[in-house]
Amino acid sequence: MDFKIIPSVCSYCGTGCGVLFQVMDGRLVDTLPMKTHPVNEGKLCIKGWNLHEHVVSDKRLTSPMLKKNGHLQEASWDDAIQTAVEKLKAIIEAHGPDSVGVLASAKITNEENYLVQKFARAVIGTNNVDHCARL
Amino acid sequence: MQEQVREWLEQGKVDIFLGYKKIQGHPLPHCFTRDNLDETDDLIVGNARYSLEKMATKIATEHKELKIGLLVRDCNQRALNVLYVWNQLRPDNIETISVNCCPSKLKEHGDCSYLEPEKAAPLKMMIGIDNNMDVKAAEEFGQEDRYKRWMYELQKCLKCYGCRDICPVCFCKECSLEHTDLIATGSVPPEVPIFHLVRAVHMGGRCIDCGLCEDACPVDIPLRLLYRKVNDIVSDVFDYKTGTSVDQSPFNMLGEEVTLEPKPI
Ligand code: SF4
Ligand code: SF4
Ligand code: SF4
Ligand code: SF4
Repeated sequence: MDFKIIPSVCSYCGTGCGVLFQVMDGRLVDTLPMKTHPVNEGKLCIKGWNLHEHVVSDKRLTSPMLKKNGHLQEASWDDAIQTAVEKLKAIIEAHGPDSVGVLASAKITNEENYLVQKFARAVIGTNNVDHCARL
Repeated sequence: MQEQVREWLEQGKVDIFLGYKKIQGHPLPHCFTRDNLDETDDLIVGNARYSLEKMATKIATEHKELKIGLLVRDCNQRALNVLYVWNQLRPDNIETISVNCCPSKLKEHGDCSYLEPEKAAPLKMMIGIDNNMDVKAAEEFGQEDRYKRWMYELQKCLKCYGCRDICPVCFCKECSLEHTDLIATGSVPPEVPIFHLVRAVHMGGRCIDCGLCEDACPVDIPLRLLYRKVNDIVSDVFDYKTGTSVDQSPFNMLGEEVTLEPKPI
């Protein structure tokens, strides 16, 4: 029997509420609000309360998917990245870098978001960077 | 306290002990085990309350024979009593260490500071319900005024289900609050006042006035006051003081016959 309480931060939106994950026998079973967290002071919205569900969901993607013959199929990271590179290159060549837009996310870290905009500006060559919350 | 928990774990009186430990500067609930005995030196009471008994209930559903020790304030003990009554935990498998507690109507004097009531803002005083009111004061508003004030409070609801999710005595597998025939879905606020009244009715004979629901409510609805009113009725009609004993609740008697006499009103 193994029961752990793991402090973390909600990854659903940019508010950054403090959460506690309850882990039983290695399985994430529940989420609680952290009472002493300065951001949320023991409160959560419905997404935060159900944070564990998207981690353990059957629908969660665990590998990259590539569309082949109209169907999404599991693929290796190498294949997925190669395909993305080829398609992006072709699009940029045909329509210019401003035909590409990049959406950053609240679900990734500050540093990763920095890399996302760097990738858009320095690699692709566009200022089309926006946030997933404005989709 | 730390010595005692260490002994209990060593001697096998309990298999695990739920208490608090400071982690990353926060007093957090923590599960102490025999495999890590030295950790018991870090056991603290902590000024932030969590429902350790709700964690125990969760653990006990998967590990039925496990002996669970836990740190209890008065509210935790009252919740345990209700969980025994409703067969969610077996008293034989639970050992407790009592610590000081926070104020409640069921125990007037306590010293857990975390629940010190915050003063209500002027707008709330003017058109809503001050969370610090007692039932009697809240009933003194005229009927129409009272209705408006409660509706003002209830329509703030975000339907986060936090009040239910944090509640030590909300353990139903299927919850009425998510039943689409009872409460319509698809809008926020949820159907008021039905959403809150359904829960209030369920809290009759169950709510032990720990205040965790109100603490977790992002929009400061005076939930505890609502459930106090419900349990005043339970106390008046059945002479049953929820959580104060492990006596059967008037709400979980099975059978054809009513054996409990309602008290004359
Ligand atoms: S709990 Fe809700 S408000 Fe808080 S970070 Fe998560 S999604 Fe945002
Ligand atoms: S709100 Fe009612 S139905 Fe839902 S878990 Fe609590 S007691 Fe059960
Ligand atoms: S005060 Fe709220 S959280 Fe505590 S037992 Fe009553 S309904 Fe549940
Ligand atoms: S905690 Fe408050 S906002 Fe959330 S569902 Fe309960 S009453 Fe509504």
